[in-house]
Amino acid sequence: MSETLRSQVTRRDFFKKAVSVSAIAATAILLPKKASADEPEIMHHAKWGQKLGYPVTYNRYGLPSPYEHNNLRRNTKLLASGNFQASIAVTPIHESEGIITPNGLFFSRSHGGVAEVDPSEFRLMIHGLVEKEIVLTLDQLKRYPSVTRTHFIECPANGGQEWRGPQFNSLQFAKGFMSCAEWTGVYIKTILEDLGLKKEALWMLAEGSDNSEMGRTVPVDKVLDDAMIVWGQNGEALRPEQGYPVRLLLPGWEGNLCVKWLKRLEFAKEPWYCKEETSKYTALKPTGKAIQHFYANEVNSTVTHPSPEKPWLGLKKGEIVEIQGLAWSGMGTITGVDLSFDGGKNYVKANLKGLVLQKSWTRWSYIYKYEGKPLLLTSRAMDDAGYIQPTIDQETSIMGVESVYHRNAVETWEVTAEGMVNHVQIRS
Amino acid sequence: MFKLDRKLIISATVSALFTASGIAGTASDTYSNGKKVIDGGVTYPVVDSKRGNYVISPQKESYMHGRLATKNELKAWNTDVMPDGTGLPKGSGSVEEGEEIYEEKCVMCHGDFGSGGGGYPSLSKGNAQEAHATLKNQRNVPNADGPVRVFGSYWPHLSTMWWYIHDGMPHPKTKSLSSDETYALTAYMLNINELTIDGEEIDDEFVLSHDNFLKIKMPNVDGFEPKIDGPNGTDNVRKYFANNKNFGAQKVNPADRCMKNCQKKSAKIVRIKGVGISDFLPPISVKRDLPESANAPVVGQAAYEASCAVCHGTSSMGAPEVGDKDAWEAVMIKGITTVYSNAMNGVGGMPPKGGNMDLEDAEIKEIVDYMYSLSR
Repeated sequence: MSETLRSQVTRRDFFKKAVSVSAIAATAILLPKKASADEPEIMHHAKWGQKLGYPVTYNRYGLPSPYEHNNLRRNTKLLASGNFQASIAVTPIHESEGIITPNGLFFSRSHGGVAEVDPSEFRLMIHGLVEKEIVLTLDQLKRYPSVTRTHFIECPANGGQEWRGPQFNSLQFAKGFMSCAEWTGVYIKTILEDLGLKKEALWMLAEGSDNSEMGRTVPVDKVLDDAMIVWGQNGEALRPEQGYPVRLLLPGWEGNLCVKWLKRLEFAKEPWYCKEETSKYTALKPTGKAIQHFYANEVNSTVTHPSPEKPWLGLKKGEIVEIQGLAWSGMGTITGVDLSFDGGKNYVKANLKGLVLQKSWTRWSYIYKYEGKPLLLTSRAMDDAGYIQPTIDQETSIMGVESVYHRNAVETWEVTAEGMVNHVQIRS
Repeated sequence: MFKLDRKLIISATVSALFTASGIAGTASDTYSNGKKVIDGGVTYPVVDSKRGNYVISPQKESYMHGRLATKNELKAWNTDVMPDGTGLPKGSGSVEEGEEIYEEKCVMCHGDFGSGGGGYPSLSKGNAQEAHATLKNQRNVPNADGPVRVFGSYWPHLSTMWWYIHDGMPHPKTKSLSSDETYALTAYMLNINELTIDGEEIDDEFVLSHDNFLKIKMPNVDGFEPKIDGPNGTDNVRKYFANNKNFGAQKVNPADRCMKNCQKKSAKIVRIKGVGISDFLPPISVKRDLPESANAPVVGQAAYEASCAVCHGTSSMGAPEVGDKDAWEAVMIKGITTVYSNAMNGVGGMPPKGGNMDLEDAEIKEIVDYMYSLSR
């Protein structure tokens, strides 16, 4: 660790002052100390204000401003199994506001392309170890009483390219294999009360109707807790990329388990060993043994502002800036986030803000007086299940570097003296 | 007793945190049936008509929507194959037949002898036993060899391969192979991975069928934890995730977490090598400008906005409103020539050229085309 880094560590008292009301008020009064030249944006009528705007009838389904054309899901060839049907496009979380991902930006992962399901031909079969084996149409499914819940969905390979070192100088690619939405559907346990689940049933197979017939095995424990079949996403029908018309939602668990384009649920006393729970989605440890049925995405966090995409260019020494980020846990509810300015050597407590929900993205914030010096920003989240994010050393000491999945060690952004932001890791 | 103590400690911690942060909700590490939460996390029992932050309705009914599935429907969709052979249909196929099908339908993606290529998965890396021996490899020093995770070395059960080929392959035309073809391709997979049956290497003559299927033992059958088979399967999982050391997670009493001097002296910054992975599509940009295509002037737009939008921008003037599909369909029934001519000469309440006689005839046509382009 360099001298520069060491010099940044014992500033807790200063930060306290920086966030106190009086300090901010004083800054607000001092800031506009010089007037600039007249700006044309103010001195001339805006061009959009002197002509008619487009009619309310123009976009029957609203679209973002054309100026937002860079706010896009992105992909890279590395994350494709040969083509862009068995691939992933990740969410621009550096542009995310609040805790809801717009439907058009929700990360998209498929194993055989996005299926285009005709809802009139949709059927859901529930069978196996139930007293009544049934078939539901979409309308019949939606007659069950609905529940609406906000949950993130995360691919367990989020951050999985960086077990051996940082690779992506990008927040979108380092942490964007996830999104968060408000989902509407039915608890599976509500349907099972009708069907009569047999006692010996321990496992449920969920299978998709897509090209790859994506299937996964789910323990009945989760099914009877909070597992849902969802058809609504942020107030409208699921997007095709999210499994239209219906997907499984296992709050907090691997995105891969939340089977899309859902077709059937089967109950049995033995597990199935689907392709995506043997060949992939298993975490190989240095012992040579691999964890199978690795369900919950563990407690995690990231700094979104600043980030490689959102550097502090133009920020001047002495200016007050909000350091912001996301925290999430598939095992429970976020209870706190700490922030380090020296890569995880010393931490201060950051503040949660907004809605703090179960198995959901949670926003956190820290008001900071910028000193124009290099920093190593590291966030560290905790949840109500008692977990805290591990250091990279702690996590790799158990999991090694070949596990691919479920990496949730703390992440570090290096902020340079110029305000540029680089993805680095701190390892011993 | 130990269990109880631990639970008490956790719930005490949880409630303290909630009080501190003002969050409503009650987490429990135990389901209502008394069993621990299976994933190592917590559940939210209903307390005061709330589950976590969410108010729930107390009303309950029996709904019984849908209908019973027919036998044929169950048979048509229940196509999974389990490790004990459940669901495996009768049939057979040889290595030779498999190779033929592979050359025709698989090799273009998976490469010669399953070697992979172009990002498509490798199906074999030679002898499965030798590849299996690499699973402890860790690439934590430069140039180290990693573990070889292919079908032969890694997959615990043959049933997975049969099922996946039958339902999920060939990639561009899935669910098109017969059972016999699937047996043949599975046999070929065994052959190129140099797997054995009854101690004998599977050669070109070998025929895989429902009769000898369960005799194949995969080298990595015991390579996975926790054990999920049998009546204790889910309880094994529960036990496994109750111990955070099993999966690299850290538990902490929040009050005891390290806030100062949390790093070893040897801690150092590791940087991205070169530019790292950066072939992003599209390239990353956070610019807020118009896309290039939007900067090109749209023919007819400016003239429309200057001369026509006042009336055609809304339906209030009786003019067909731009964007109103039905209104424009009614107009276009007359044919485009009539519509051009009406626009030039006037129609109903509309004066010739909308009252702007400076417009050339060609411009009028462009304006009509532009208006219609937004209205269909």
